[in-house]
Amino acid sequence: MSTVIEMSGILAHYDTLGATRAAIERLREAGHSDLDVFSPFPAPELEEAMGIESSPVRRWALIGGITGFATATALTGLTALAYPLVTQGKPILSWPAFFVIMFEMTILFTGLFGFAGVLFHTHRSRKRLSAGYREVFSVDRFGVYLRDAGANMSEIEALLQDTGAIEIEEVAA
Amino acid sequence: MATAEIEVPREALPTLEQANDDISRPIYAPSWRYYLLLAICGVGILAGGTAWAIQVKNGIGMAGINNPVSWGVYIVTFVFWVGIAHSGTLISAVLYLTRSGWRTTINRAAEAMTIFAVMTAGLFPLIHLGRVWYFYYLVPYPSTRLLWPNFRSPLVWDMFAIGTYFTISLVFWYLGLIPDLAVLRDKFTGVKKKIYGTLALGWQGSVKDWSHYRRLYLYLAGIATPLVLSVHSVVSWDFAMGIVPGWHSTIFAPYFVAGAIFSGVAMVITIMIPLRWAFGLEKYITKYHFDNMAKLLLFTSLIVGYAYALEFFLAWWVNDPIEKESFAWRAYGFYAGPFWIMVFCNVVVPMSLWFKRTRNSLAALFAVTIFVNIGMWYERFVIIVTSLAHEYEPGGWGIYVPSTTEILILIGSFAWFFFWFLLFSRTLPVISIAEVKEHLAHEHEHGH
Repeated sequence: MSTVIEMSGILAHYDTLGATRAAIERLREAGHSDLDVFSPFPAPELEEAMGIESSPVRRWALIGGITGFATATALTGLTALAYPLVTQGKPILSWPAFFVIMFEMTILFTGLFGFAGVLFHTHRSRKRLSAGYREVFSVDRFGVYLRDAGANMSEIEALLQDTGAIEIEEVAA
Repeated sequence: MATAEIEVPREALPTLEQANDDISRPIYAPSWRYYLLLAICGVGILAGGTAWAIQVKNGIGMAGINNPVSWGVYIVTFVFWVGIAHSGTLISAVLYLTRSGWRTTINRAAEAMTIFAVMTAGLFPLIHLGRVWYFYYLVPYPSTRLLWPNFRSPLVWDMFAIGTYFTISLVFWYLGLIPDLAVLRDKFTGVKKKIYGTLALGWQGSVKDWSHYRRLYLYLAGIATPLVLSVHSVVSWDFAMGIVPGWHSTIFAPYFVAGAIFSGVAMVITIMIPLRWAFGLEKYITKYHFDNMAKLLLFTSLIVGYAYALEFFLAWWVNDPIEKESFAWRAYGFYAGPFWIMVFCNVVVPMSLWFKRTRNSLAALFAVTIFVNIGMWYERFVIIVTSLAHEYEPGGWGIYVPSTTEILILIGSFAWFFFWFLLFSRTLPVISIAEVKEHLAHEHEHGH
């Protein structure tokens, strides 16, 4: 690793959920909240420790559902009115029959918008992986990465050591 | 929780790293056996494809369908594959919502099966169409004649339902794959790293990203559950909306949904048993998983058996002579053979699953699921063909026998399905690595 660039970030590896959680909590207590935490599997405990409450994907899904329902209502209703041909002895606007289309399209748009939401909110990192990311984080280790350790590097290092970090690296931001 | 029942001592539990390696190992170097299987599927696809090409050239008369039986093997097979597609979403969505931990090791393969089964099913309306190039009539697009699809028609509902089901299943499956694709990106070098890296969309397992992921996963599970129920209901309405004796019944939607889950679970077991053996995944897919799936199979078999009985009861109870005649002919007429094959395979054989010995013997379980796969194809044959062949007017009765073209295309559809599944099994992890790790990590830390 190059040593020319100014060292400012710090990355600690952990091998258990409990230790990772403790480290996040203590770092946040010490006022360091600009954290990136890497986990090989979904861990609600860590989200809680980081203070993540809810994902904005909720809104994407809701807007998608409403859009889908409205689109299907317009598609079935307006096309029936545009070419008002009575078929199957049903009224021109046969809502019970059209409801099947409305139901399916609500679900379709909810899923697609939600997926777009996930892509959008994880986009900042898509071009290049974070400087703190290591390949072991997709295997069995957790990473706690503080982008800007500032002046009190040694203090933080002690804290990380204390919470059971198995490896600590300095990372060029 | 149920996970405590897994018969693996804690010391024998694989570590996260072992799980990582075990599950991604099959992706490295396929053996000659794999290529042989692929080649067999290739021959099957070629046979079906040739038969179809000849049908396109000569016309739909190559199929045995006639007047009155205008829906034959193509529609039967379409319904069969749509049914197979159902268990994937059931296992990944419904069991996720009910927090059934045992789904973890089987959901990925079941979801893949769903996608390939829909891809197979989707071919049949096109094949059945004869003049396949008119398919776009079903798509709502602004034409110069101002003519739009008839949204009152169950066939148009069907297109929307199946299209939505395919898309949502694909999104669900892909979302679950993203973290595992990142695992492969980090394991491989060179071209493979590039490919998996591109597909992984820059996933780095940041806890913030996981929170978006988990939220959408929950929502997809939530919307896929009503979706899975709606899809086969809509397929059943293709029939139930018609005033054909044997079809025009309100029990069709739940009857078809139960049948779909039944056949889908059977196919999952049929595939998982050889897959587990071939890839050495015994540590991850245990007898416990098969036992649970077998119980699901038994339960849905009971529902299906109940529906068969109820159909006959209703025909007798409403005392409609046409309906009574139609059902009597179904059981004792020209198609009595398929009917009793159906009853034997779907109702009698699965009763052996009451015994723990059958559930715990993989050979026996495999045999039962083969019977169910056959029985469920016959069920659709019986419903569709016998009803059309024996409608109201004796002068309009007729007999349908599948033609060679139809049989070849049926065989081709199996080859096509397994071809995709084989490709999947060697290019992507067949078990969700992230979910297995989540489960193992909790086992290691808390011991449950």
